[in-house]
Amino acid sequence: MSDESVDPLGQGGPPPPPPAAAGAVRGARRPRPPRPYARRLAERALRAGSTVTAIVPLGALVAMIVVLLVEALPAIRYNGWHFLTGSTWSQGSYYSPPVRTNGILHPAGATYGAWPLILGTIETSAIAIAIGFPIAFGAAIFIVEKLPKRLAGVVGLCLELLAGIPSVVIGLWGVLTLGPLLARDVYPLLAHLPNVPVLNIFRGYVGSGEGLLTSGIVLAAMIIPIIAATTRDLLRQVPEATREGAEALGMTGAEVFRTVQLRWIRTGVIGAVILGLGRALGETIAVALVSGSVISAATNIYGTMTTIAATIVSLLDSAQGDPTGLATRSLSEAALVLLGMTLIVNIGARMLVRRSARGAALPVGVGF
Amino acid sequence: MDARDLANEKAASQRGRRPWYRNVGAAATVALAGALAAGALAAPVAGAATAHAKAKGKPKATANVYASVEKQLSGLEKPPSGVSLLETGSTLLYPLISAWAAHYPATHVTTAGTGSGTGIADALNGTVQLGASDAYLPISDPSNLLDIPLDVSAQQVDYNLPGVKGHLKLNAAVLNGMYNGTITKWNDPAIAALNKGVSLPATTVVPLHRSDGSGDTFMFTSFLDFQDPSSWVASSGGPNTSIHFPSVPTALAEQGNGGMLAGCEKTTGCVAYIGISYLRSALKAGLGDAQLENGSGKYVLPTPGAISSEVASFQHIPSTGAISLVNSKNAKFGYPIVNFEYAIVNANQSSSTTAQAIRAFLAWGMDPRNGSSSTYLTPIYFHPLAPGAMQIALNLLKKIQ
Repeated sequence: MSDESVDPLGQGGPPPPPPAAAGAVRGARRPRPPRPYARRLAERALRAGSTVTAIVPLGALVAMIVVLLVEALPAIRYNGWHFLTGSTWSQGSYYSPPVRTNGILHPAGATYGAWPLILGTIETSAIAIAIGFPIAFGAAIFIVEKLPKRLAGVVGLCLELLAGIPSVVIGLWGVLTLGPLLARDVYPLLAHLPNVPVLNIFRGYVGSGEGLLTSGIVLAAMIIPIIAATTRDLLRQVPEATREGAEALGMTGAEVFRTVQLRWIRTGVIGAVILGLGRALGETIAVALVSGSVISAATNIYGTMTTIAATIVSLLDSAQGDPTGLATRSLSEAALVLLGMTLIVNIGARMLVRRSARGAALPVGVGF
Repeated sequence: MDARDLANEKAASQRGRRPWYRNVGAAATVALAGALAAGALAAPVAGAATAHAKAKGKPKATANVYASVEKQLSGLEKPPSGVSLLETGSTLLYPLISAWAAHYPATHVTTAGTGSGTGIADALNGTVQLGASDAYLPISDPSNLLDIPLDVSAQQVDYNLPGVKGHLKLNAAVLNGMYNGTITKWNDPAIAALNKGVSLPATTVVPLHRSDGSGDTFMFTSFLDFQDPSSWVASSGGPNTSIHFPSVPTALAEQGNGGMLAGCEKTTGCVAYIGISYLRSALKAGLGDAQLENGSGKYVLPTPGAISSEVASFQHIPSTGAISLVNSKNAKFGYPIVNFEYAIVNANQSSSTTAQAIRAFLAWGMDPRNGSSSTYLTPIYFHPLAPGAMQIALNLLKKIQ
């Protein structure tokens, strides 16, 4: 791909177009004899079909946003900004008569504050990236640079298989094996780290293995294959000529990596991390199993918490028992918040990538 | 029979002495229940106490207390063929209703234990024909949704303290403290004050609650609220199937009664509210079973006699079937957390054969000769409905068309 801009035959570009016929409009096609009906029909059908299939994803996205908005609107009016800052998620009393506030019917005492959910989502994703990115990046570098070709193929295959494991299986492994193992053997050791500014986040009540750190580790296990596979493919695309040139100049392996490969793959790696982050933000069932499902902010790094997606899943059935419907609408509002977070992350990443990559194709020798 | 069973299992798992007051207490509550029932219910029903005594293996000549309802039951129990029913909901009722489904002739019933909140929601939107719930319906639910009492069940409070023998005494004030974070260690003075003479370890209290919509949560929060008016339950909106539990650093949430049991087993220092159909498994797993303070100030274990006397103390059951049996003020030796198990059914069914199948299955289930006989109920410590309650249930059942 990157070699296309090299001109091995010295032609200096594509051949010039043939001279236009007298009286012809530039760009117009010469007249053709009419085609048979069947071929015209097939052409029209293909165009119509591909137009429809192109519109469907866009329509689905718009429809999803619109439906969520419409469903959540009464809850947005009732909850106000308190939804993003409050910490109490209470569906109110179903057993006393509903009350009307601001024109919205709701159970007495219903109050929805989703801050613990939002905080939990951000925290688990941050821990997942913090743990997963170095491991994935390191694994990709090792596969491409150090492993012999056949072994690299096998390890790469294992990585792709890991990406295909369903999240509920990883969640089940987390709650049955990993969580108890960590709580029994690893966390008590971590809790003895010295009381210095960064390391003291590991001090505190260790709990039973279900909580923030375990969720972060399980999520990291899910995003490592994504980041590693993408980074590996990016590294393979770095041109050999540039790398060999850098080595010929006398640079060590690490310096070659820093000046050539790192600059080349930088924007792609940001994209891979965003992909992984997107998966971590929306991951539902694995986090629901491993997080402890308690609707409050985690008190320390091992504490039980919940995320937006996990809360929607565990509360949806009891929310449907709310006769006024406010509980399901508030869950829709939470889903809207999650959608907003994912969109912000994606759009922000694209802007970042666009700013640091000048031009679509990267010419030889300029890797940034 | 059942009191000794409970004691033997407790003794086997914890090698403690069988408390002497258990047998005396059982005999006393049976006598008291008989006296209350005789005074409160109509004449044909006066033999309720003797019926329970008979169930315990003390042979006595009894009048058939269910005579008035038996004919109605038999009339309803004719199932149509070719119908299959879907049931979902309460994990407390699940062991019983899945046993019914396995042994019920004619109609095929598919059961699932998903929590009372799901049972009510699915029955409300028509996903299933039968929703099971430990909580009666909220008043603002549509009036064509019925909550039909099926049997009497209860809920115990279990804890995981391996070194503590016997049964700890707990009450709503102490449990409120555990669940809102004011009591953090098991050797807290408040717990020690109730359990003089018991050496309590300094283990951290880990309060477990249900993460899904749960009838057990409704019963437990009802107990906390009724017995202790200063409870956090009132500020969280009152007893409910899904409630905001105070934010305690050590708190854990689990799904279903099975999840509560498993979670409590693996966490030392846990306190959990679990349905009585899991009591046998809880005791086998080495969990302790608390004596709870009842409405009259006595500390009672969930023995069959205590449960019967609690439910017998509620004399007027409304025709809707919705009544809380928690923390009775009139049952001196009653166990405080008792409830009716409800089937949530839409009175307007899509076809009359489905309606007939539902009526037949539920009638068969609540019939003390069939689904509510001791073979089904004794292992899970449930009781059949008293004839008065059963008449109300049958009236509701006949509304399903």
